[in-house]
Amino acid sequence: MRSLSPRSALALLGLLWLAVAFGAPLLGSQPIGLSDVLRGDPTALAIFWQLRLPRVLLALLAGGALATAGLGFQTLFRNPLAEPYTLGVAGGAALGAVLALRVSEGLGALGLPLVALASFAGALGATALVAGVALRRKESETGTLLLAGIGVSLSTSALILFVQYLADATQTFRMVRWMMGGLSVVGYREVLWLLPWTLLGLAALLASRWDLNLLLAGEEIAASRGVDVPRLRLRILLATSLMIGALVAVAGPIGFVGLMVPHALRRLVGHDHLILAPACLLGGGAFLALADLAARTVMAPADLPVGVLTALLGGPFFLVLLAVRRGRG
Amino acid sequence: MNDPAILSAHGLVRQERGRGSSGWTLGPLDLEVSVGECLAIVGPNGAGKTTLLRCLAGLREPTAGEVAHRGRRFADLSRRELARRIAYVPQVRPASVPLSVREAVELGRYPHLSRFQLAPSATDHRAIDRALAAAGIEAFAERPLDELSGGERQMAWIAAALAQEAEVLILDEPTTHLDPRHQRDVAGLLHRLHREGGATVLLATHDLELAGLLGDRVLALRSGRIASLGPPSEVLAADSLADLFDAPFRAGLDGGTARLSLAP
Repeated sequence: MRSLSPRSALALLGLLWLAVAFGAPLLGSQPIGLSDVLRGDPTALAIFWQLRLPRVLLALLAGGALATAGLGFQTLFRNPLAEPYTLGVAGGAALGAVLALRVSEGLGALGLPLVALASFAGALGATALVAGVALRRKESETGTLLLAGIGVSLSTSALILFVQYLADATQTFRMVRWMMGGLSVVGYREVLWLLPWTLLGLAALLASRWDLNLLLAGEEIAASRGVDVPRLRLRILLATSLMIGALVAVAGPIGFVGLMVPHALRRLVGHDHLILAPACLLGGGAFLALADLAARTVMAPADLPVGVLTALLGGPFFLVLLAVRRGRG
Repeated sequence: MNDPAILSAHGLVRQERGRGSSGWTLGPLDLEVSVGECLAIVGPNGAGKTTLLRCLAGLREPTAGEVAHRGRRFADLSRRELARRIAYVPQVRPASVPLSVREAVELGRYPHLSRFQLAPSATDHRAIDRALAAAGIEAFAERPLDELSGGERQMAWIAAALAQEAEVLILDEPTTHLDPRHQRDVAGLLHRLHREGGATVLLATHDLELAGLLGDRVLALRSGRIASLGPPSEVLAADSLADLFDAPFRAGLDGGTARLSLAP
């Protein structure tokens, strides 16, 4: 797998990303030709620019954010099973967003900011809770961390069900569809909203690339080399939680991208976060955009929420990873 | 203070919330290590050797008292400044580290790297090569750490600490779990660094012979306090060791390190 140098693998991922960005909007329940778009055919132009491009761009950003955040969590907790979904961070954000959806009826333009603020708060709260429980036990072992994540996930889904029970039928339907994680109703507003948060998260990981690389050797060695571990932890958790909060506010909780993509890319480009973090942004984006393309074409004209598809792929992947790790001891 | 000790602890106390209800306390103790000295720390399990080393490496903050490097208090130094002065090789490390030997040694340069530096500089690479050569592990520099034997891995982590180019090298049980040949390799490396390189070395060990061989002075720690501190011939004598470990020792040959005696 490592016959390719990390840098050329990253360059290839960049090419893949570009190919998806330009190719995916042409495909769908009604394929359009590039020539139609270039010729200025009004229907083709409308489908390309208004319907599909924002959706593909959002998928590229959302997938990138999920994978980058997953990478951050995995390195920080030294645990390949950690990701926004398994740690309950996405669940926390979803709870915040659902509460906001419940009360935001009739608030109109205030809608997105309120939902966003609420998911930020939810994501940060869940992260603080899971990290607090896991780090209290000095050995941040796989078991404690994932159990804390399960605890938070269970609590948030119960609370979400409770909120849904209190809501009326229309609200409930909106919430359920949104909880499936989908990118179906988006415009450039959502893309522009997510862009800065994603870049902020990536920048935080890149700026800490030496620290994160050192963390691979364990906290004691990292600290003895001069890494301020508590501060690093805070910085990365804050950046990744903001990324997830911003993402969940527009696309709902999309699971397992943050688990699968970093895992696959580590094999392709190695462990240096200078390469790995941007690789996750590009690879995660391309992966989610392709998954979304599949979600909107396989059952066309039905539009499957992409979160359902990633969870279908991710569940078994998680189990295999768990089994293999156990087998290794 | 025209010639301050390179490392000094005054009134050092560290309270550990131990396993279970009762915690335990290191110190209060005073200690001065001079430039180029090798100090070996011995003592029974749970005497506080690791905690003492961590305090001296600045990895644990003292509950009371202070630790200083060349008269500068640790509390006034940032983590990176501290790491440029003191290198530490812990005993317990993650079972799997997905790095090659060279990558691990490269990360020893961390306290000298700027956040915005994309790759190690030429100076860094010279230090990395020197560290690999000093440890004599150039031959497997490109191999993954996880594929090495325990002894080779220990040499790699010592090399990583050497790349830090700190004045003081602190090692926690550097030869534990190693076979005799690798014990000898590690001991030989520390001996060269200390005698020929003039490095200041602190190590905790259960290997009393190693302590006697390397240590200019030996510190015997018992229940968090200094039981004795002096030349190996005194601290490692049969009587003192019998006291320290609460087990019978008999005098070593030629006045060397005493040995555990099986017959009472």
